[in-house]
Amino acid sequence: MLTEAYMQHAFLAGTIIAVVSALVGTFVVARSYNFLTHSLSEIAFAGAALGFWLGFAPLLGMMIATASSALAIGALENAKVKSDNVTSAISAMAIGLGILFLALGNSSSTAATGILFGSVLGISMGDIALLALMAAVVIGLIFILFRPLSLLAFDEAGLLLSERKKGLLRVAFLLIMALSVAISSQLVGSLLIFVLVTLPAASARTYQKSVAGLIALAVFFALFGTWAGLALAYLTNLPTSVFIALIEVAIYLLSLALAKLD
Amino acid sequence: MQNQISVQHYVAAFGKRVILKDVSFSIPSGQLTVVLGENGAGKTTLIKAILNAYLQPKSAADEVNGIEVSTKKLAYVPQFRDLGSDYPLSLAAFVGLAIRQKGWPFLTKKEKGRVQEALALVDLTDLKDLPLSKASGGQKQRAYIAQALAQNPDLLILDEPTAALDAKHSQEVVSQIRNAQQKKGMGVLWISHDTSWVKDFSDNYLWLHDGQAEFGSVDSLPDAARSIHQEEVNDVN
Repeated sequence: MLTEAYMQHAFLAGTIIAVVSALVGTFVVARSYNFLTHSLSEIAFAGAALGFWLGFAPLLGMMIATASSALAIGALENAKVKSDNVTSAISAMAIGLGILFLALGNSSSTAATGILFGSVLGISMGDIALLALMAAVVIGLIFILFRPLSLLAFDEAGLLLSERKKGLLRVAFLLIMALSVAISSQLVGSLLIFVLVTLPAASARTYQKSVAGLIALAVFFALFGTWAGLALAYLTNLPTSVFIALIEVAIYLLSLALAKLD
Repeated sequence: MQNQISVQHYVAAFGKRVILKDVSFSIPSGQLTVVLGENGAGKTTLIKAILNAYLQPKSAADEVNGIEVSTKKLAYVPQFRDLGSDYPLSLAAFVGLAIRQKGWPFLTKKEKGRVQEALALVDLTDLKDLPLSKASGGQKQRAYIAQALAQNPDLLILDEPTAALDAKHSQEVVSQIRNAQQKKGMGVLWISHDTSWVKDFSDNYLWLHDGQAEFGSVDSLPDAARSIHQEEVNDVN
């Protein structure tokens, strides 16, 4: 399996994606931004479809669409506008636009399926280089902002910063989320974004009691699901995201059951 | 004695409703000052203005709205915290969260020592690995205070930390904070409804009433200020 170049690429890309998604997911779950993550993935769909229509890389389209939406959502949040309803409206519009862009670009149904359900098995080294660059940006930002981000996510009341600095931090976090959604969509597709961004981080909460511990276990769960999913997809010739989704959901349900027993 | 907080001609108003009318006072460093006043007297408004003055970028004037805060490190324990019922962090991890708000991601050995010391000061050493979501109300409140203490503040501001506690746990928290304040020599500004402990455990009072602020030693605490809590208890009954 690992002697074939396309599987080597898939494992490499899957590893990068799993690490970034679980790392960011730890903060997303702590801040209860699960819904926002899903909305961003729908916005990512529109960005990718725009890329297909206008002839640039779908990943770049996703990145531009999610990052600009994150900035808009951040501005609303800082203006203390209740943003859930606005976010719903934006995501509904994004799906509509995505369908329109696919139609305008005469894109094949394979293109749409790739965006919605992920298409890591055909990933090129060029795409992997772009993924690695985005991943480095996300990891670097989290490393630099780790302490204030931990407070923002795990105890916002304890974050003693001026309103201006708090606002900047919120926007930085939303941009990190936006990038990670675009990255994660490459593997599981925009429809299944929960699978890698929120489920491993949510599962880790049953077992770990420190921020670093939560991140480490979430990364482990995400890597396990991704590697096993890729192997099963290779053996069965079925889509990778099916297996990753089922494995991550199984881990989550088991964690939930153990948490109830505790 | 140097002042940690100096307020000159401060006015607080919501629309036409004036809460504090041109108040001036100074809070000395290294002492425990209790802020007293009925609901709506402007206690939380004043604390927020002090925090705001501390958090603004320091200019040549070093003064915001007539408030000057001369302290290197201020820590604040807010009245409410909504952490959710499945909050995963242990008491020790929670206390370590705010020890420094920027810099190297991982706690240094020295910082870990400060977490242990803060937990010991509020008598939570044995429970350091307990998830905060499984702690009792009193234990949570003590963890919030430990988080502030671990930051090694020269000024600690507490907004009604004993409001949700029964008399026994409230008394414990009061004596632990007094103990920590004396041990570390820091200033404490404490908003409280409960005046029962003020005489024995604090140095000064700041009484907000009728738009005015009255500062003095607890030895000269006016009876009217001391009876606030009792009146409110009677109102509830």
